[in-house]
Amino acid sequence: MSITIQNLNKQFGNFTALNNINLEVNSGELLALLGPSGCGKTSLLRIIGGLDVQNSGKIFFHGKDVEHRDARERNVGFVFQHYALFRHMTVFENVAFGLRVKPKKERHIETEIKRRVHELLQLVQLDWLADRYPTQLSGGQRQRIALARALAVEPQILLLDEPFGALDTKVRKELRRWLRRLHDELHVTSVFVTHDQEEALEVADRVVVMNKGNVEQVGSPDDVYAHPASPFVYQFIGNVNLFHSRTHALWTQQQGDAVAYVRPHDIDISLIPQQSSLPVVVKQVRAIGSVVRLEAAIGQDGETVEIELSRERFNITPVAVGDEVFIRPRQIKVFEA
Amino acid sequence: MAQFKAHSVLPGFNLALGFTLLYLSLIVLIPLSSLFFKTATLGWGGFWEVTTGERVLASLRVTFFASFAAAVLNAIFGLVVAWVLVRYTFPGKRLVDALVDLPFALPTAVAGITLAMLYAPNGWIGHYFAEHDIKIAYTPLGIVVALTFIGLPFVVRTVQPVLADVEAEIEEAAASLGASRWDVFRRVIFPSIYPALLTGFALAFARSIGEYGSVIFIAGNMPFISEIAPLLIVSKLEQYDYAGATAIALLMLIISFILLLAINGLQWWSNRREIR
Amino acid sequence: MSLPHQLINNRKIATHESKAVTLVLITVALSYLLLFLGIPLFAVFYEALGKGWTLYWAALQDPDAWSAIELTLIAAAIAVPANLVFGVAAAWAIAKFEFRGKSVLITLIDLPFAVSPVVSGLIYVLLFGAQGWFGPWLQEHDIKLIFAVPGIVLVTIFVTFPFIARELIPLMQAQGKDEEEAAISLGASGWQTFWRVTVPNIKWGLLYGVILCNARAMGEFGAVSVVSGHIRGMTNTIPLHVEILYNEYNFVAAFSVASLLALLALVTLFAKSIVEYKVKDNGDRHPHGETE
Repeated sequence: MSITIQNLNKQFGNFTALNNINLEVNSGELLALLGPSGCGKTSLLRIIGGLDVQNSGKIFFHGKDVEHRDARERNVGFVFQHYALFRHMTVFENVAFGLRVKPKKERHIETEIKRRVHELLQLVQLDWLADRYPTQLSGGQRQRIALARALAVEPQILLLDEPFGALDTKVRKELRRWLRRLHDELHVTSVFVTHDQEEALEVADRVVVMNKGNVEQVGSPDDVYAHPASPFVYQFIGNVNLFHSRTHALWTQQQGDAVAYVRPHDIDISLIPQQSSLPVVVKQVRAIGSVVRLEAAIGQDGETVEIELSRERFNITPVAVGDEVFIRPRQIKVFEA
Repeated sequence: MAQFKAHSVLPGFNLALGFTLLYLSLIVLIPLSSLFFKTATLGWGGFWEVTTGERVLASLRVTFFASFAAAVLNAIFGLVVAWVLVRYTFPGKRLVDALVDLPFALPTAVAGITLAMLYAPNGWIGHYFAEHDIKIAYTPLGIVVALTFIGLPFVVRTVQPVLADVEAEIEEAAASLGASRWDVFRRVIFPSIYPALLTGFALAFARSIGEYGSVIFIAGNMPFISEIAPLLIVSKLEQYDYAGATAIALLMLIISFILLLAINGLQWWSNRREIR
Repeated sequence: MSLPHQLINNRKIATHESKAVTLVLITVALSYLLLFLGIPLFAVFYEALGKGWTLYWAALQDPDAWSAIELTLIAAAIAVPANLVFGVAAAWAIAKFEFRGKSVLITLIDLPFAVSPVVSGLIYVLLFGAQGWFGPWLQEHDIKLIFAVPGIVLVTIFVTFPFIARELIPLMQAQGKDEEEAAISLGASGWQTFWRVTVPNIKWGLLYGVILCNARAMGEFGAVSVVSGHIRGMTNTIPLHVEILYNEYNFVAAFSVASLLALLALVTLFAKSIVEYKVKDNGDRHPHGETE
């Protein structure tokens, strides 16, 4: 089931949460809405799920306008940020809830409900917790139960609000790989919200970068990382060095006010000056795993530049603190300031 | 865009709010408004005349002084009780803790006749005072006793949770900086529970102003000496002086309302301090 | 600087009072509670039973006492469910939705607590009494509300009006609406959501409110006294009956009937403690974090 969003706007009082959003979610893909706090990503997710209403604009599921379908009728599975598990029900009853509240004529018989709940619990690998209460589970387990509960009603669209936000780093990494595998198995059109770029880049088929209610860029993780469409995306995803045209006209190659963006790993160093290279003084050298990170100063006490080299590259040109070296960008992107 | 209500997927708002407003209007607002309309038939002059009558002023004085004295007593001893219940362990503590709410649960008439009996000159407690020529029941002192009973839980119950929330670390920090135990209490603990103490005081005071059942048995009800304002309303009613009764009632309602607003303000203040 | 020398309660010694101060404070607190709560409570039962069980039973078996008990039960049986429905509706609207004027509404709900019981009775006399707004109309149709049972029920509803609502509003606000939204998104209807998700979550708070509401409904004196007319065996509730017996210097009977109310108070305190314990237990079950 595909999702089409057209000219969507949402205001809270004077605050514009979503500003004319246009977006296409392809059937069966896993899409990430990525952005900082307050960028409107959660609002967008809630509006798609029918939990909130837009001020204007339209949403289509598989080409059909869903304006007059409320949250119950959209057949959407929603996984809440804080799980929203029913705390007075066991894990089993939580997952069974969606099946039990179906209208009488659509409702399954008890044995069928049992079978399907256990199937889902097996899918999230937590069958052995069926009789526990949510308070007796760890964060990661709660998250997986919330997902199983959402999947129980066989949604055609799955929406996840910061699915790993409240978990610690290790569980987070495990769970997101698991979510990716699960998605590859089920192929339900899924949209998840996150503020963590690593998470978005690792899990999603495509990433939507949002800022202040606007879509900044839509693309594959690779695309977004390698070819950022705006200064915001450049700065939000990955580390970046900024060079202003006033001081480094050489690199920006522009007459007006402009800023050049260069990733630390797109900078090459040499011991002798080359065409359009900048002299810098090395201030710090740190080897971190497979890469070596340099911090260098432009001029006497100028701006700091971050440079990242692979170990092999570093071994070819070993430098030490205090050395003068020459840097040159392999790849550069210039935006008008 | 100014909206009355923010969107929500949950149903039942119109039904719930509609019923709430209807019920509130029928049970509370319309009956209360009758006070204003009835008083209006008196006019300002009449209202003024009734409420500044000597007997009315005397009864208000008695009511206020007794309520104030009782609230002060409860503020002091309520703080000690709250402190003991939060900080120390002793046998039967849970029982004592539960007993603090007795004045909320015991009907006022029962409290009234019991206290009157105990504090009468020949009563269990009263006779000790009688030996020293102090009369408690049937004097303004009796009113203070009854109102102390009625207001006892308020200070304890407002201070208790705040006191329990004072972090041990803060006290430890103060102690490690060289503060004596008394300094720690005066400079660290007391300032943080002060708003709650004041709120409890105001709640006890407000409750006492309107109290009737527990007081009338022990007060003696002598006009100008131990007659409280609510009783005066009842006696005016019994003489079919509806307008007079209503005027006093309206005055008391306005006073209670001001107190209610003050208490809300206090609670807002105390919450804000807690958040910081 | 002297080092404190003992350890109580697992707290660090540096933040503790001396043993003497501790003992003095405990003694002061317990004496105060004994003087104002313990002795009066004991005295009720002592006065009731002091002259033997025979007199006690005789007082309770008096037909006037029975009709007072009956009337009290009727008033509570109407007032408590009425305020229960109201409390749930008000809490649902206030806790689960955002709308303008909410804080004004909350203040208005608390209003009956700020009104003297006597004034509560008076306002109903002003409405429905012989000289009241609706007095002439009621007389024409031969309906008697004041100095009759309906008046007693009405003022009982008034004085117990806020109890359940003010218990539920903060509880439901703290619980938020995540679980309800989850239920709706899983296809549950409004009523299904209410009965299966909301009610189980608030049941202890609900019970707590009902207990307090009931205690006040059965024990109210001032307001009921104003509208009752004190007709023995007709419009007397238990507290009013106690007053009449006391004023007739029939102390044994007065305290015997009063002991029923004292017993009710003890049951209330006991039930309240149990529910408080349960609520605390349940409250911890709420995983709450900040939202975006």
